Amino acid sequence: MSRTRTAEETKTAMHKVVAEMYDRIVKGEPPTMTLPVRTKTNIGFDKKLGVYKYGKKQSVRDATSLGSAKQLLRTLHVVEFIEEMLDAGKSSTLREMYYISEGWGMGKFGSQNDSNNLAEDLEIVTKCLREDFKLRPEEDGARMIGNLTLRERNRRGEWMRINARDDVGDSGYGVPYNVELEKIELLEHDIDFIMAIETGGMFDRLIENGFDEQYRCGLLHLKGQPARSTRRIMKRMSEEWDLPVVVFLDGDPWSFRIFASIAYGAIKTAHISEYLATPSATYLGITADDIVAYELPSDDLSKKDVEALNAELTDPRFADSWWQEQINMMLELGKKAEQQSLAKYGLDFVTETYLPEKLAELGLA
Amino acid sequence: MTGIAQKLASNQKQVAISEFFEKNKHFLGFDSLARSLITAVKEAVDNALDACEEARILPTIRIQITKVDAQKDIVRMVVEDNGPGIPQKSIEKVFGQLLFGSRFHAIRQSRGQQGIGITGVVMYCQLTTGRTTHVRSKIATEPTAAFVDIGLDTRKNKATKANAGREIWYNEDGSGKEHGTEVTAEMKAKYQKGRQSVWQYLRMTSIVNPHAEIIFIDPDGEKHHWTRVTERLPTKVESIKPHPHGIELGQLQRMIAESNDLNLNHFLLNNFSGVTNRARKELCEAADIPGTRKMKTVKGDDIRHLLEAFQGERLFNGLPVKLLKPPTNCLSPIEELLIKKGLSKTIDSRFVSTLTRVPSVTQGNPFQIEVGLIFGGDMAADKPVEILRFANRVPLMYQQGGCLLTKAIESVDWRQYGLDQAGGRGVPKGPAAVLVHLASTNVQFTSEAKEALADNAEVMEEGRKAMLEMGRGLRKHLEKKKKMAKTKEKFELINDILPAIAKKSAEILERPVPELSGSITKIMSAVISETTTEWNKQTKQTDVEIVLFNYTSRVRAYTILATWPEKSGAKMENNETGGRKEALGVWAWKLESLQPGERKSIAYSLSGLERGDWTETEVLFRGSQDVIGATKMDEKFLQEIRRQEQIMDESGVDSPEDEGEEDEPQNEPEKKEVAEVPAEETVEPAIAPPEGQRTLFGGDV
Repeated sequence: MSRTRTAEETKTAMHKVVAEMYDRIVKGEPPTMTLPVRTKTNIGFDKKLGVYKYGKKQSVRDATSLGSAKQLLRTLHVVEFIEEMLDAGKSSTLREMYYISEGWGMGKFGSQNDSNNLAEDLEIVTKCLREDFKLRPEEDGARMIGNLTLRERNRRGEWMRINARDDVGDSGYGVPYNVELEKIELLEHDIDFIMAIETGGMFDRLIENGFDEQYRCGLLHLKGQPARSTRRIMKRMSEEWDLPVVVFLDGDPWSFRIFASIAYGAIKTAHISEYLATPSATYLGITADDIVAYELPSDDLSKKDVEALNAELTDPRFADSWWQEQINMMLELGKKAEQQSLAKYGLDFVTETYLPEKLAELGLA
Repeated sequence: MTGIAQKLASNQKQVAISEFFEKNKHFLGFDSLARSLITAVKEAVDNALDACEEARILPTIRIQITKVDAQKDIVRMVVEDNGPGIPQKSIEKVFGQLLFGSRFHAIRQSRGQQGIGITGVVMYCQLTTGRTTHVRSKIATEPTAAFVDIGLDTRKNKATKANAGREIWYNEDGSGKEHGTEVTAEMKAKYQKGRQSVWQYLRMTSIVNPHAEIIFIDPDGEKHHWTRVTERLPTKVESIKPHPHGIELGQLQRMIAESNDLNLNHFLLNNFSGVTNRARKELCEAADIPGTRKMKTVKGDDIRHLLEAFQGERLFNGLPVKLLKPPTNCLSPIEELLIKKGLSKTIDSRFVSTLTRVPSVTQGNPFQIEVGLIFGGDMAADKPVEILRFANRVPLMYQQGGCLLTKAIESVDWRQYGLDQAGGRGVPKGPAAVLVHLASTNVQFTSEAKEALADNAEVMEEGRKAMLEMGRGLRKHLEKKKKMAKTKEKFELINDILPAIAKKSAEILERPVPELSGSITKIMSAVISETTTEWNKQTKQTDVEIVLFNYTSRVRAYTILATWPEKSGAKMENNETGGRKEALGVWAWKLESLQPGERKSIAYSLSGLERGDWTETEVLFRGSQDVIGATKMDEKFLQEIRRQEQIMDESGVDSPEDEGEEDEPQNEPEKKEVAEVPAEETVEPAIAPPEGQRTLFGGDV
C-alpha cells in the first residue's frame, strides 16, 4: 500500500507523541496528548477527496484527571509495545495486545474497547495506519459472491487465483482482514454492480434465488456495521473496476449510519476516510417511503431510535435534502422495518419485484 | 387510681374477668392472634429488662417460641432472663395481680406505661387454652429455685396457684443458675414474620437496649442472636413530683384528699416540682386561699381556683404565676453513641448518625427526643425508609401513619439531604432507616392501644429539629464521600500514574526522568486534607490524624476544626498541636502558614471510649481557599452547638434558690433537692400520675 511507512518513520511519529508528554512535565505542567475531536461536531466534507474527514478541532487529553492520566500511561505502554514488535518483526492482534496489557500494571486496559480506541487514537495523531503498528483487528470480514476474480497471497506466500462464484461454496469468499495490495489483487469481473447487504438472511435469500447471476452483480454481506477491510475492499472494487455500489439495508436509524460510514466515512475512522469510504455508493433501501409504498410490516420506533434519528438530523453527513426528508419521514411515521419484512409478499418478492423496481430507478436493471 | 384490682373490687357489678378482658382486648394488645404473641413476649421481656435494670444486672434474655398445635394455633412461649429473680412469696403477686408494683405511681420515665403487664398474659393463656403459666425463679441468696403454676380463677377474679415447689435450676451446660426468672406460657396465637412480628419487636428492643443480649429461637428452630454492645447500663432514673402545669382537676382533688400536709403552704411545697417559695405565695394569692388553710377544708371551688392559678388563668398582680421548669434528670435517654451501636449491630450500613436533643418540657412534663439515621449497606434504595419508633425504650409497632413521631419524619423535606421523597412530603424513600425515641415522664398516646403518639406541638418541633440536624449530617456525609473518592483519585494520579508517565516517556525517548513537583502542583492546585480515625488496640484509645497538604503555589493559612465526642465523656490525649476548645465537641487548631508543597499533621487520641464508638471525625476549616476533604465552617452550626451547650451547662449547675428566678427561657436551673426525692416518697401518698401516665382506664376513680 502506498501509505505504508517504514519502521523508523513509524517510530519517529510515535516519539512525537511521547515527546509532547515529556516536554510538558519538564516545563512543570501536566503531561498532555493533543488529538482531533472525534465526534460529529468535528467532521467536515473534504471536497478534494469526496469524503468526510476530521476538522481542525483539537482536544487535549491532560493528566489532571485520573482517567485521562491512565489513558496517557496506556498510550506510552502501547508505543513501547509497538516498538518492540517493530524491532522483532512481529505482529499481534488488538485482542492479544489487550491481554498483554494485563502485565502493564496501572497502564492496563479496562476493556477490549479501550485498546481498540487507543490504537485508533494513535493512528490519528501519528497519521500512521494500524498496519504500520503491526496491529491486526479481530474484525469479522465480509462474505462475497459473484462473478469476480481476485488473487490472494496465502500463508505460504503463494498467490491463489479465486473466482468468487466458481471457486467458493455457498458461504462465498471470505474477505481477509488485510485487503491491501500486498495481500489482494483485483483481477477481472463480469458484473455490472456490487450490492452490499446488511443481514445474512437476506444475503442467503438472494443467493438461493440466483439474484447475482440474473442481475449480473456481486453480493457482499456486511455483517452489520462493516469492518474496515469490508469497507476497504468495496472502495477498491468501486475504484479499480469502476463499478457502482448499491447498499441494501434494514429501514432504521442504525442502517442509515451504516450507509453513512460506507459512503461518507465513519466518525471513528474519519482520519482514513479517503481509504475506506466509497462516495459513489447509493442507498437502495429500505427507505422510509418503502415502508409506506410497500405497506411493509413495521415496528414502532423505540426511544433510542428516535434519539438516533434526531442526532442524524444534525449530523453533517446527512445534511442533504434527500436524507433530511427520509429521516423526518421516519420520525413522522414512527415506524421502522427490516429487510426481511418484504417476505410478507412471498420469498421471491424481494428478487422479482422489490429489487428490480428499486434498481430500475437507478438505471441498473 | 391505685390499680385495676381495686377498681374491679370496688365495682359492685363484679364484672367477670373474662368479660372485662374480652371488652378491652384491643387496647390490652390481644386483639389478633399475631399481636397477642407479640404482646406476651413484650410483657415478659419488658419485665426482664426492668428487673435487670433495677438490680443493675446486664440482661441476657432468651426467648423461644414453639408451635404446640398448629391447627388450633396453640403456641408456647418461654422467656428466661438472668435478672435478680423473684422471692417465692412474691411470684403470685407479680404474675397474678393486676398492676402490681410501684411503677404506675411514680412520675418518671418507665417502660411500664403500656399494657397491663404480665398478668394480662397469664389471663390470656388461661382464657384461650385453659392452661396455667409456669414460672420458675431463683434469687441469688437461695440455693434452689422456686416454681409454681399461676392461673386465674375467672369466677372469683383471683389468682390461683398450683404445683408449687423448689428445685435446683441447671443451665444448659449443667452448671447451676445463679439467679433469674423463666416464664412458660401456652396461648392461642400465631407466629408471623415481617414488620409486625416477634422478631421485629426483639430486633427493635435490642437497638434501644444495647446493654442487653437477646437470643431468640423461632418456631422453625432458627436462632437469632443480638449481642450486647455495651457494658453500660441505662442511667437510673429519678422520680419527680408532678408539675402544676401537667395536673388536671381529678388528680388535684385526689392529691388533696389524700394529703397529710399541715396546710396548703406545705402541700404546695411538698408535692409539686417547680414550685418555689415565691411561687407558693403567689399561687395562694392568685387562688384566693390563705396558705395556712388546713387541707381538709380545701374543697369544691377552692380546688378549681387552685387549678386555675396553676394554669395561669387566675393571675397574680395581673400576670400568671411563674413556675420553674420541672427537673429533667428523671429522663434516661439512650444517648447518641449507644443508639449508634444498637443500630450498627442490627442493620448493616455505611453511615450512622445519631442525635440526642437536650431535654425540653411540655405541659409540665419533661421529655427528650433522640433520633438515629442509618444509611447505605444492603437496604433497598427504592422502598420507603424503615421507621423505628420508640417511646421510653419500648418499640411501637402498630399505627405508624397516625403517630407523631412518623409525622415529624414526614415534615422534613428529605430531598435536600439526599433521599427520595415525592413532593418533599411523606415518608422518604432510600436505603435508610430512621429511628425516633421519645423519652418522657408522660407519653401521650392517640388511644388506649398505646401504639401511636398523640400530637403535641413541642414534641413535634423537637422531633423536626432533630431530623433536620441529622439530615444535614447525612448530606455532609454523602458530599464528603464524593469528595473523598475524588481526592483518592487525585492522590493515585500524582503518586502512581504521573511518576509512571514520567519514567516511561523518559525511557522511550532515552532521556533523563524529569522532576515532577511542578506538574503535581498544577494537577492538584488545591489544599487537601486526609483524616483517619482508628481504634488503637494497644492503647485502647481512638487515634485521629488530620494531614494537610498544600498543593498550590502559594502559602496558605487556616483554622482547622474537628468534631470529637466530648459530650459522651471522651478525653483528648497527646494533642501536641495544642489548639483550643471552640465549642462543645469542637476543637480548633490555628495553622499560621502552610508552605507550597508542605505537609502538616495534627494528631491526637481520644480516651474514655469503647471500640466503634467514634469512627468518623468531621474536619472543618476557616480560611479563604477551599480544602478538599474538609468542610467550610458553617458559623450557624457552631451557634447551634453553643446554644445546646449553654442549655446543658445551665441545667447541670446547682444554684441556690432565688426568689427572683423566673420561669423564663427554658434553661432555669432547678433546685436540686426537689429532684432527689426518693421514689418511695412519691409513691406512698399515692399521688396519681397525670394524664397519659394512666394505663388501663385513664379516668378518675
